[in-house]
Order: sequence, then structure tokens, then C-alpha cells
Amino acid sequence: MSDLIATDNLLNEAQKAIFEALVDTLVPAGEDELMPSASEVDVLSYIVDSAPDFAPQLAAIVDSFNDEFVSSGEERRVQLVQEFEQAQPELFGGLLFHTYARYYQDARVLEGIGLTAGPPFPRGNTVEAGDLSLLDPVMEKSHGYRKVAGVSSDLR
Amino acid sequence: MSDNSISEGPVDVLIIGAGASGAAVAWSLADTRMKIVCLEQGDWMNPTDYATNKTDWEVHQYSKLNIDPNVRGLETDYPINNDESPINVVNFNGVGGSTILYAAHFPRLHPSDFKVKTLDGVAADWPISYDTLEPYFAQNDRMMGVSGLAGDPMYPPKQPPLPPIPLGLVGETVARGYNKLGWHWWPSDSAIISQPYEGRDKCLNLGPCMTGCSQGGKSSTDITYWPEAIRMGVELRTRCRVREVTVNESGMADGVIYYDADGNEVHQKAEVVVMACNGVGTPRILLNSTSEQFPNGLANSSGMVGKNLMFHPVGFAQGRFEEHLDSHKGPQGCCILSKEFYETDESRGYVRGYNMQITRGTGPFSTALQGYASGTIPWGPGHHDAFQKQFDHVAAIGILCEDLPEEHNTVTLDPELVDSDGIPSPKINYTMSENSRKMLEHGLARAEEALRAAGAVEVTSGGPVQAAGWHLLGTARMGDDPATSVVNNWGRSHDVKNLFIVDGSIFVTSGGLNPTSTIQALALYIADTMKKNLANLFD
Ligand SMILES: Cc1cc2nc3c(=O)[nH]c(=O)nc-3n(C[C@H](O)[C@H](O)[C@H](O)COP(=O)(O)OP(=O)(O)OC[C@H]3O[C@@H](n4cnc5c(N)ncnc54)[C@H](O)[C@@H]3O)c2cc1C
Repeated sequence: MSDLIATDNLLNEAQKAIFEALVDTLVPAGEDELMPSASEVDVLSYIVDSAPDFAPQLAAIVDSFNDEFVSSGEERRVQLVQEFEQAQPELFGGLLFHTYARYYQDARVLEGIGLTAGPPFPRGNTVEAGDLSLLDPVMEKSHGYRKVAGVSSDLR
Repeated sequence: MSDNSISEGPVDVLIIGAGASGAAVAWSLADTRMKIVCLEQGDWMNPTDYATNKTDWEVHQYSKLNIDPNVRGLETDYPINNDESPINVVNFNGVGGSTILYAAHFPRLHPSDFKVKTLDGVAADWPISYDTLEPYFAQNDRMMGVSGLAGDPMYPPKQPPLPPIPLGLVGETVARGYNKLGWHWWPSDSAIISQPYEGRDKCLNLGPCMTGCSQGGKSSTDITYWPEAIRMGVELRTRCRVREVTVNESGMADGVIYYDADGNEVHQKAEVVVMACNGVGTPRILLNSTSEQFPNGLANSSGMVGKNLMFHPVGFAQGRFEEHLDSHKGPQGCCILSKEFYETDESRGYVRGYNMQITRGTGPFSTALQGYASGTIPWGPGHHDAFQKQFDHVAAIGILCEDLPEEHNTVTLDPELVDSDGIPSPKINYTMSENSRKMLEHGLARAEEALRAAGAVEVTSGGPVQAAGWHLLGTARMGDDPATSVVNNWGRSHDVKNLFIVDGSIFVTSGGLNPTSTIQALALYIADTMKKNLANLFD
């Protein structure tokens, strides 16, 4: 058997269901349907591929929740996750980090918030030069650097 | 030295460290046609490896392009013990040094910064003035490629070679706030090219300059000074980590011992040694260079090597605006700055002052993560609404405080921690002074005021920021008196007359501004003074 960590051998089906409910509690789908939920962007595969040091902790995380979690309503799930956040801040912090990391590089998500998907380079961004006449009041006011006796730059 | 150490024949000048100052000094000395070698523990960077070239660009700042070497943990890094400091040392080790990850905010120190004892009765005056450095500031601006706007009333006249980088909506919005309050502000001098310059293409406004610049619009020394210095004959050896500077019987430096990429111990002989390892790396190597003649470390008869460490304690206020500000676009750390509270006014309860550096926003991932940490963006049902209100709707003001030199703020050698070559690591002992604390408090309150005047509907602030030991200064200071300083007024060790220091260690006081423009101007000035005195360099 392969000793590679893969989504298939990391969590069993029941654990996967809990994991999906868990990340969807962290980032639910947007009401306007523009924004997917976290499980829709496959956070699990991302963690397995990109965070191999963190992946082995997933079983411990999902095992903090029981089957009731999956069938609970949102309010109850939020309450259970808050309890986990307080009891296991490091594990929770790691999960949130990787969930957001995956979520905010997904093309659908980026387009949903008005950005273009993909790396910033070489596309770049346009930024307005700005109105330098805003400096007029600064130049009118008698700001000035502090003078130092005996330094010729002060005599210019 | 071990028995199987390799010995390399002498070079004229041996520079240690290929960062901001090492590059400048190498380039300036190159026209002497001396044999010049620079040893650098890190590698050349490949711009295609930088984060903004990748889909997961935002994640890299938390891992292998992290600004904290203890988090980054590359083979080319050395660990630093920050346990006794509220501020962590951050840096980069490679060709370009910390300019690889710096934000490139590039103000010069002010004339008053060189004379704080005379003006305010604190710390010590520098043995040189703004005037001494003025031609070198200008030379460095040309070599690095600096964008800015002439006419800032807070400086003697100066002319940046390139027009300013864009203000964007963030800059304009905060500028309007400053105007309402009648405060000073000006477009920041930035080591970022706003137009094509010297074969480099202009900045593309990618955003996160602090994970390296894929475009090469940010002026790090691997793409400014180094290519020219190498063309002029300087040899740059990477993956060479210096353990100590060696001395001969007459107490002169005669070379260094370093470890090469294969772990071989090499004794490189040299006529002149120039330290450019920054305000932590330089005292580390000097303190590790003990001998019968120099039992307390090299160049340390004053006992000042490793003392007077100055950071610039930093805090940030962030404002959220109803309007969309396109915050994540454009150089994150460079926009406009205000010097309204730069000079001493004792009625404020502290001496000296700070610079208010306007910074732009972050990408979406960091926005979500920082929003969680600050309590402004929850996870769960309210996440999307809170995120939309925050992302691209923020402007921030960094308060960068002048730190005064205090002998108890030190870099020493850690008794246990070592790097991968077994060289003792630096240990930082630093306490933030009452003066700096009051200054930061004052600054954060003024920053909140400015953001509100600019129209922010919500303002949060905090500091000192822990991972903000960006500026490493004062640990081998300049001075006329060998009893209280390490180098003279042109960077030469008082004790060892063929040993020079050109990095941020030699600052006497820190000013309240980002230091790299001044560090490099000093390096160019020292190189020029060496050239003028070549015939009697060691007299
Ligand atoms: C995240 C970040 C943001 C910053 N933003 C700004 C900014 O906006 N504006 C500004 O002015 N400054 C900024 N700085 C600071 C700026 O980068 C430094 O002031 C500047 O690079 C210091 O120059 P230096 O030559 O003293 O040292 P460095 O540039 O740090 O170079 C030192 C070099 O020496 C090498 N070295 C050290 N020890 C050894 C050894 N034993 N053997 C061989 N090589 C060795 C290192 O590998 C490194 O390459 C920032 C820094 C960081 C990390």
C-alpha cells in the first residue's frame, strides 16, 4: 500500500462528511450564489497537496466533532465550532489558515469579489497617478525642516 | 582554524555580505581595479520564484518568503534568538540581502538627525552631517532608481531621478485627511521605478513588494548595483558563510574563515576586510572573532560591538472607508508620508519623533486572515458581508518611531543556538524605552485622527508590531572617540586599521525614517573616502 498521504486514506467517508460540514461552517456559500462554500473549492485536497505537515492533524480535528455535527443546523454548528476554537486554538488556527488560503486563490471566489483569477504577474494592476494639486496647501503652509547650525545645506 | 582548511591567496578587498551596503561599496570600489571579492552566505534569487508569479502568491509570505528567518528556515538563513525582545529581527540572506524583501520606502535621514545631542540634548551627534552624505544620497538614488517628487519642504533641495509612483485612491484619500488637519504630507521617495530605467521595466503595481518583485520594478541590489559591479570585475561568491575575521601578529585583519557550499572550511586572505552583514550579522561575526589580541571580539576595545541596538518600533492604524479604494493595488509599503510630528516638541511628553508612512491594503487571503485576528471579519455566516466591507476599502498609517541608543539593547552570541555550520547565533536583548512607548502612543492617536479626517468609518490600531525588526542599527557605531565608538567618521575600525564597516551597524542614532537610503549613502561615502586615501589607508 502506498504510504503517500492522499485524501482517500487520510479520512474515511464519515470523517470527510464532517470535514466538509466543518469548512462550510467557516465559509458558507454566499447568499447571492456568487461565492461558493469552502467545501466546493476542495479544501481537503489542497491541504493534502500543499500542507503535508498539517494534513496528519485533520483526523484529530474532525474527531472532535460527532456525526450529529453534519446534520445540525447552522446555528448549532457555529456553536460547536466556537467551542472547538476555544478548546484547541492552534488546531483551529491551522484549519482556518489553510481553508482561507485555498478559498482565496480559487478562480470562482476571486471573480466573485471582483478580481481576475491567477497570479498578479505579469498582468499587473492599474493605479491612478493621483492629483498632485492636493499638495498646494502643503506648499503654502510654512512647513520646513529643522535647521542645523553650520550645515551648508541649510544655507541654500 | 582546522588542519584541513583550504587557504586562498590574498585579495585586495574582501567584502562580507552582498546586501544593500555590500553591493554599494563593491560597485564604488570596483573602479580602482583592485581584486575585490564579496562573500555572501545566500544564493542569487530567481525572479520567477517570487510569489506574485504564482496562483498561491499570498501564501508564500507565510512560508519560504517569510520575512522572519526563524519561520523561513532556509539553509542559507541563520536562526536568531528573539526570546528577550518584544520585536523580532527580520531580514533576508541572499544576493541583495534584505532589499529582496524590503518595502523600498526610501526617505533620507534629515539634517537634524545627525545632530540630536546638539539639538535635543540626547544620545550623541554623528561625526558627519547630512552635507557629508548629500552627494552620495544623490548618487545612490541614481544607481538604485528612486521615484519621488522634488520640492518637499521638509528637506534641503533634492531631485529624485524618476517621477513619483502613483498615489492611487489610498494616497489621495489620506492626503485629503491631512489637508483638512493642515498637516504635512508628501509622495514617498521609493526605490521602485515609476518609468523604465537603465534597462529595467517599470513597476506594474503588483502589490506585495515584501515577497520579492517578479517584475524587477523594485530596486533590490541584485538587479541594480550587482550586475554593474560584476561587469567591472568584482567577484561575488555565494553560499560562503563567514565564521570569523582573522588577524595577524600585528593586530591587522588578514582575512576571514568561511564555509563554502560543500561545508569546506576556507581561509581567504585579504589586505582589507569590509563588513556589510547588517546590524545583527556584523556584530555577530565581530564578537565571534576572538583571539589573544582581541579576547572580547574584534574591533571591540570600546565594548560597543553589539550594544545600542536600535529598531524603529512600529505600530499601525487602519481605517475602513465606505468608498472602494482599490487598496490591494500598488506598492504596499510606498505611497505618501507625513513628517508633521518628526521633530521634537517636548510638550508631547517625549523627545524626537516619528514618520507616518501610509501603506496600502493586502490581498484577499491576508485580508481575511488579518480580519479574523483583529476581530473585524468573522468566520461563519457573517464572513462574506464583513469581507466585502473591508477588502479594498482600507488605508493604513504606519508609525515608525525614532529609537534612541541604549547600551542595554544588545546583540550577543547565544551560548547554545548555532546555524547549520555551527557558528553561534545572535541573541537579542531589547526593551522598548519609555520614550519610544510614549512616542508610539502619540503617533497611533494622530494616525487615527488623520484616518477619521480622511473619512474612515472604522479605525483600529495597535503596536509595537512584533515581526517588525526591519531596521537593524547602531551595534558598531561611528564616532570620533575610540572609547565610545567602534569606527571612525569614515567607517574604519579604531582598533584594526584595515577593517571597515559599512552597514546599518554604524548608525549613531536611528532617525525616525526607514534607513536604507542612508545606509547606502554611507557605504558610498566610505568607499569614496577609502579611494581618496588609498596611498595611506591604514595611517
Ligand atoms: C520585510 C522588510 C521590509 C523592509 N522595508 C524597508 C523599507 O521600506 N525601507 C527601508 O529603508 N528599509 C527597509 N527594510 C530594511 C532594509 O532591507 C535594510 O535596511 C537593508 O537591507 C540593510 O542593508 P545592509 O547592507 O545593512 O544589510 P542586508 O541588506 O541585510 O545584507 C546583509 C547581507 O549579509 C549577508 N551575511 C550576513 N552574515 C553573513 C556571514 N556570516 N557570511 C556571509 N554573508 C553574511 C546576508 O546573507 C545578507 O545578504 C526592510 C527589511 C525587511 C526585512
